[in-house]
Amino acid sequence: MKNKSAVAAIAALSALIAWGLHFVFTRFPTMPLAASEQAAHVDSAWNGLLIVEGAIYALVMGYLIYCVYAFRAKKREEQGQKFDRSRGRFVEVAWLAVSVALTLSLAALGSHELRALISDPTADIDIEVRASQFSWEFYYPQTKTFGDKLYMEKGKRHRIILTSKDVIHAFWVPEFRLKQDAVPGKAIPLILTPTKVGEYTLLCNQLCGRDHYDMRAIVSVLEHEEFEKNMKAEF
Amino acid sequence: MTEFFASLTAGVLVFVAGYGGLQGPLGRQAACVLAYLAALLVFLCVVGGAKAMRAYAQGREPEEKHGIARYFSFDVDHKVVGVQYTVAAVVIFLVGGTLALIMRLELARHGLQFLMPDQYVTVMSLHGITMVVVALIATAGGLGNFIVPLQIGARDMAFPRLNALSFWLLPPAVILLLSSPFLGGLDFGWTAIAPLSTQGTTIGKQLFLLAFVTAGFSSIFGGVNFVATVLTMRAPGMGWRRVPIFTWSIVAAAIIQIMGTSVVAASLIMVTFDRVLHTTFFNSDLGGNVLLYQHLFWYYSHPAVYIMILPAFGAILEILPVYARKPLFAYKLVAGALLTITALSFIVWAHHMFTSGMWMLLKLPFMVNTELISIPTGVVFLAVMGTLWKAKLRLDSPMLWALAMVANFLIGGLTGIPLADAPTDLHLHDTWFIVAHFHFTIMGGAVFGFFAGFHHWFPKMTGRRLNEALAKTQCALMFVGFNAVFIPLFWLGNHGMRRHVADFPAWMDPVQTFASLAALVVGSSAIVFSYNVFISLRGGEAAGENPWEALTLEWKTPSPPPHGNFKTPPVVAGEPYDYGASA
Ligand code: HEM
Ligand SMILES: [Cu+2]
Ligand SMILES: [Cu+2]
Repeated sequence: MKNKSAVAAIAALSALIAWGLHFVFTRFPTMPLAASEQAAHVDSAWNGLLIVEGAIYALVMGYLIYCVYAFRAKKREEQGQKFDRSRGRFVEVAWLAVSVALTLSLAALGSHELRALISDPTADIDIEVRASQFSWEFYYPQTKTFGDKLYMEKGKRHRIILTSKDVIHAFWVPEFRLKQDAVPGKAIPLILTPTKVGEYTLLCNQLCGRDHYDMRAIVSVLEHEEFEKNMKAEF
Repeated sequence: MTEFFASLTAGVLVFVAGYGGLQGPLGRQAACVLAYLAALLVFLCVVGGAKAMRAYAQGREPEEKHGIARYFSFDVDHKVVGVQYTVAAVVIFLVGGTLALIMRLELARHGLQFLMPDQYVTVMSLHGITMVVVALIATAGGLGNFIVPLQIGARDMAFPRLNALSFWLLPPAVILLLSSPFLGGLDFGWTAIAPLSTQGTTIGKQLFLLAFVTAGFSSIFGGVNFVATVLTMRAPGMGWRRVPIFTWSIVAAAIIQIMGTSVVAASLIMVTFDRVLHTTFFNSDLGGNVLLYQHLFWYYSHPAVYIMILPAFGAILEILPVYARKPLFAYKLVAGALLTITALSFIVWAHHMFTSGMWMLLKLPFMVNTELISIPTGVVFLAVMGTLWKAKLRLDSPMLWALAMVANFLIGGLTGIPLADAPTDLHLHDTWFIVAHFHFTIMGGAVFGFFAGFHHWFPKMTGRRLNEALAKTQCALMFVGFNAVFIPLFWLGNHGMRRHVADFPAWMDPVQTFASLAALVVGSSAIVFSYNVFISLRGGEAAGENPWEALTLEWKTPSPPPHGNFKTPPVVAGEPYDYGASA
């Protein structure tokens, strides 16, 4: 049967592509260091998508490459084969069913992680992060101190309360994943739980004018004692 | 042609005089707006609008020019308008491409090379908006205007004068865009997000807003015209089940143009009011709502990406059966899918706003709605894949472009899902992941789809064939170069490369340098293209009526088609894609 060998060839091509993707994705990790609890949720959603989409990509590309190779005309006069209507109808319905199922399961996976990210508004430490063209200011209302960096304590839940004095800015630390705009006239909370001690960079991620490119600050995640010492030392 | 240059001169003079005169009493912003409106009116009248209206009022046929001059005049023949749009799109594409190369040069290394950060943003904004214009007009405006009336067997568009007007609104918009950097620049990107866009007093920003609104009106007029034409002017025998898929796609896009564009125009006019009349729509200190701008803007600008991509889908679906020598698979289903995409496109806009601070729970419906679009989009892939099965492929240049488009759009579509998925988008939003994603859809999808259609219909539009070897070379260069530029940039975005910035950490250098070199390959493809068009127009092989042995109506008339399109009005007796041998 000709169809059988076609299916085998497509499967082989797809497997080859999938193996290539796997090789690249393991050699070059697709996400940077994960340094917050929230990052784990984002990465789990991401990895789910990566697997499903990698498979879809491999199958479709395998099929396309096979078709272009196997069905090219040797002479211009050759004509393709018309399809059988009832079989065509079956393929259409099957395709729709599979794509509806896939889409809904991806949406379910996404909703699940989204819920994990936004369902719990409680926090141990509040930090007011005030953005303005083109700098960041950090205020700790519980201890009434300002920070020259964004100090955070490892393992504690921080409520970052974002405000802006002029235009829209955005708070983004790639290692923490979550991103949130700072909007004039609003105070927007963002919960982050750093899990790894170290220094990171806070980047403004919303075009805010001339020096937007340089609107950064240092984020310093400390152990409990260090953090406490720092809070006292500020004033 | 004298009219064209006279109208340009008159427009500029009126603007300068008006601005100079009004600036004292009214202030810069108001003077700029009023002077522009006057200049636009004068431009449109002098370029031929006044004459055309006079002829219409007196019940005369509009006078016709000949040769090159036709294309510089207010001509109402849809074929002329189609060529005008196509040439304009290609020219703007080359300008936008040059701006892209300038950016890639700046981005070749970390640190600042030769552009100040705000200059980078200005170049980026101009590249963005010019390319958005290209993607909106190339296939829908250019190929659509030329091909759709032919494809449905009509003599012309339903409203020929409106058609000419819709084209002639574009040159002023483009001139305004290109002059804005010299009049104070624009530091707010092509999206003009408020309140950044309500700040600052240079008229460059104001001109940008006016240009956007002008282009918007052009798009609305075009959309109305297409819907009316396809509704009322199909040849006898062409029921809805026999409408070619390209025409379907243009109708779907036209519906979006009509329904969406007015909203974005409103949002830009509100920004203009905030700037000129000191209203406070977007000023939160005085009771305005900052997020309102983004809602209005994306209510249009998400569907707008379907104005770009639906005609490209239509073009490749039209092309595949011709070169596969078999019927389009799942024709009815895919026509339905195009309309489904149109409908869904209006309920997904806030996926651009997951990080904006809108009400948290809105993330869920907008995420799910957006993901639903992958179902009709999947149907497009089904049609492509079904059509290729057991085909006899003729790998002529239009087919290569179509296949390249499919390969690119597969990546573009799949990388859209992590952006629709709220948890992952919170990380990816406004990084180079998104930049790479939309280049894969807009450039890899819409622009490659345009080139597929361009190579397919060039013989019809000009009567001459393109050089196949050059066409294939261009396709290969652009495909390889484009993929090499943007694939590594997905990775860079995930690892912290922000959008809209000229500087980045030094460790990114190898990847960025590689992307910049690859961009030169894309640039070289544009040179091959220009050369090919140039020599083919001068000495290309004569095309004849139907060089690709296609069945749709546009191929049943001489190339280029005569005035009135068909010698005898065509009658449709069969399906549009009845190719191939029965099994
Ligand atoms: C080789 C060709 C191209 C290159 C090298 C290129 C490169 C770039 C670069 C460097 C940016 C700035 C990104 C940033 O700083 O955030 C950009 C932005 C953009 N490009 Fe391209 N581009 C190319 C072709 C195109 C095409 C063909 C289109 C559409 C038809 C397009 C549409 C856009 C848009 C809409 C933006 C706006 C970005 C924004 O708002 O962030 N580009 N491109
Ligand atoms: Cu910023
Ligand atoms: Cu969108």
